[in-house]
Amino acid sequence: MTFAERMLKIDRRIIFLVIGFCTLLPLLYPVGLPIKISPEVRGVYDYIESLPEGSVFLLSLDFDPASKPELHPQAISLLRHAFRKNLRVIAMTLWVSGTGMADQVVTQVAREMGKESGKDYVFLGWSPGGTAVIINMGQDLYGAFPADYNGKPTKGLPVLQGIANLRDVSYAVSLGAGNPGVEAWYVFGKDKYKFELAGGCTGVMAPGLYPLLRSGQINGLIGGLRGAAEYEILIGQKGKAVAGMDAQSATHLAIIVLVIICNVFYLSLRKTTRQQAHSGT
Amino acid sequence: MRGKGLGVKGKGSAVVQGPVVSGVAGSFARFFFLAACVTGLSHSVVFAQTPLALPQDVRAFDTPSDGGGSLTVLWSPAPYDSAAARYQVLLSEGTTVPDPAAMKVVAEFPANQHYVRESKWPWWTRPTTGDQHQFTLRSGRGVELKDGTTYSITVAAVQNDDRKIATPVQATPQPNWMNWNQVNNLLLALLFGGIVFYAISTARKREIFLRRIPGLDAVDEAIGRATELGKPILYLTGAHDMSDPSTIAAAVILGRVAKRTAAYETDLLVPHRDPITMAVCQEITKQAYLEAGKPDLYKDDSNFFITSDQFSYTAAVDGIMLRKKPAANFFMGAYFAEALLLTETGASTGAIQIAGTDSDHQLPFFVTTCDYTLIGEELYAASAYLSREPVQVGTLRGQDIGKALILGVLGIGTLLATLGVMLDAQWPQLFLDLFKDVK
Amino acid sequence: MIFLRRQVPLLITLITGIVFAAQYYVPHPASEQMLTSVTKWLQIIGGFALVLGVSSLFHVHAIKIRRKEAGWGYSFVLYVSMLGTIAVGLWSNGKEAVDGTMTAFGWIYNFMMVPLQGTMFAILAFFIASAAYRSFRARSREAAVLLIAAVIVMMGRVPLGEYLLPISGDLSQWILNVLNASVRRAILIGVSLGTVALSIKIIFSMERSYLGGGKE
Repeated sequence: MTFAERMLKIDRRIIFLVIGFCTLLPLLYPVGLPIKISPEVRGVYDYIESLPEGSVFLLSLDFDPASKPELHPQAISLLRHAFRKNLRVIAMTLWVSGTGMADQVVTQVAREMGKESGKDYVFLGWSPGGTAVIINMGQDLYGAFPADYNGKPTKGLPVLQGIANLRDVSYAVSLGAGNPGVEAWYVFGKDKYKFELAGGCTGVMAPGLYPLLRSGQINGLIGGLRGAAEYEILIGQKGKAVAGMDAQSATHLAIIVLVIICNVFYLSLRKTTRQQAHSGT
Repeated sequence: MRGKGLGVKGKGSAVVQGPVVSGVAGSFARFFFLAACVTGLSHSVVFAQTPLALPQDVRAFDTPSDGGGSLTVLWSPAPYDSAAARYQVLLSEGTTVPDPAAMKVVAEFPANQHYVRESKWPWWTRPTTGDQHQFTLRSGRGVELKDGTTYSITVAAVQNDDRKIATPVQATPQPNWMNWNQVNNLLLALLFGGIVFYAISTARKREIFLRRIPGLDAVDEAIGRATELGKPILYLTGAHDMSDPSTIAAAVILGRVAKRTAAYETDLLVPHRDPITMAVCQEITKQAYLEAGKPDLYKDDSNFFITSDQFSYTAAVDGIMLRKKPAANFFMGAYFAEALLLTETGASTGAIQIAGTDSDHQLPFFVTTCDYTLIGEELYAASAYLSREPVQVGTLRGQDIGKALILGVLGIGTLLATLGVMLDAQWPQLFLDLFKDVK
Repeated sequence: MIFLRRQVPLLITLITGIVFAAQYYVPHPASEQMLTSVTKWLQIIGGFALVLGVSSLFHVHAIKIRRKEAGWGYSFVLYVSMLGTIAVGLWSNGKEAVDGTMTAFGWIYNFMMVPLQGTMFAILAFFIASAAYRSFRARSREAAVLLIAAVIVMMGRVPLGEYLLPISGDLSQWILNVLNASVRRAILIGVSLGTVALSIKIIFSMERSYLGGGKE
């Protein structure tokens, strides 16, 4: 086996080691390169900035612990921004396995920003049905969630005063890792009940949501860890997302170098094979 | 004008230094300054001379094609329509209005806004010409309009301290049974349904050509390879339940694959994430073995339930792949983040892999790790391609006709929209509105 | 019996399919109320499906343990874990934290479920690298175009890439907003037409595989 063939059939574990080092080292020794803000993330930020105090902001944390590294920083940044603008925050989730994590992040950020449950924000928790929950909320919020996650009746909560259903929501953001997620919130939510909607998602899902963004069905998109990092820069509070960008940079570069090396060997092997075929050996 | 050497000296905007160029420039500047003064004066003369008048032709009615709780008011444009003047929409409950001035102001906006042409009504439901003013009042945010209750509504024109209120008119909000704004949507849906039915009836009468889908031709090859190696076949039906079209398509293809595995007497493993899908696939597999004439070879536990949790299922299937080393892996249906975990593990065992999914976010992973990938609606087409049943083939044909229609509309629509902008014409909207989604 | 197993479900599918397709075009509150009632039923049935999932799991692994099939020890571990988590969850009333203090259920959630799920998802990063190394080869012109686009987007989406190749940021934005969006739209149109066609076939009983078995 030639060197090129050996390199093309390299043990996957060596590649795993390279990726492991590229992820670990920048986390231990951060560099802090500048991050450019994209128009799609700015769209979300600008809209929240434009909302007057007391507007109703709905944040649906539709992800499970698997997507925590990418979507958790997005949730933290959005909540910080919303609380800073003194918006009335309604948080919820359509994924049962993400309920505990969603409750933790909302409680943690609210405590940090000095906000009170029931008065400044409410965490509704999870209800079965996925898209059926969105439709029910669109008709009657209190019917879909008679009590919040802590068991307090939702009717009568100061934060929900004057809110009957989704039509009374000023802005909704769905942080989705799959289905139900951003698309479900558009089809069963915004399309019927006419509130403004934005999306946050994992890096893998982001390209699939660009048609919705380009057509104006969502007015902003926070895609993956990069989107979360951009949002942290915009609100002026750097966190795990910005810290993770160095690791992501190194990993991307490692993959690019590996792909280039692989192609160099592949093309050289192909050239050798062709030469051998021509010479008849 | 040059940047350097410009200066203002004396009266007007005189450029005092330099040659002829500066002199000509100065003349131009003086001309434009005088022109601006005259224009400004004439504007102020015009506005000063246009008295505020009562808004004309005010009429109100129940907003059509809605669920109630809304009224629409129309009135004619006026000479004083500008940013300097304002319109107010006034509302009160009941048919009698003792004092229009005491009515509640529910909206106020500059007089050069809110025209029918700016609204989202398509041409077949537009109530009047585009130059008319229009305002739609809805329940919510401080305004409550109860269905069946008559309200008096009017428009006031306001400029400085002057206010002219038109005679109030009455209207009653009512819910409607049909959203006429979406009748184009309904007709297009019915048209597509009709095309599908027509294509199915055509398929029953004659043979329809289907292009070769390489992934499906490889199904036989994959099953044959597994038989030669004496290894089982692994078939996955995806992450969604039976209400999803991709899972239904996966179940249909399973029937065809099961028939082949029965014929070749190859082991079939079908781990499931959803118990209902498992029950359906059990029936499908049993039926397939019956049709292949090998009912005794059917094993009930060839279809088995693992768990509905995404990564637990993935870990279990990866374990099956590494232990049982199937020769062929089929990934049909909807997939999420587990896609690459499954296919990369399968690739490491040397299995031939065929995927088919409508989850476009996972397509890059399937394409790079699988030998053949059915993209998007090729998965739905696969069912027709394998069975050659008239219903399946006819549906495929109907879909293709639908796609051809959409392509045609895209081309014609783009051309007309461009013409509309270039010629500043409204007539292209007659065609474009037919394909607009209006709520 | 055939009538109950076959004809009744098909009739229900036909009626509800047509009614709820028409419901989309009817804005009247009565229509919205009907939709709300049905979605409430969907939520109730969704709750039952959870129970169905868990009971299926119990049943399958109980058989494995009883017959002492290969790997039955893992089934035993699954059983113990499931019962233990259910017991702890019921004891903690389903709450991960009470007044800021973590419950036992919360401990299981935070220190077992979250890291395990995170680990599985994290494996993807390594698998992407090995898959890219194996398959991103310029075998043909199309493959070369794919390779170049992938490199540009990978560079443009990270700060280091934008620092080394400033144009990669704008190029990757253009690839995502123009090329990617248009291709995704095309796939979406095709898939949506397929979904509509399949739904029409199901409503009008031309597709019955969801009931199990072939045509009768």
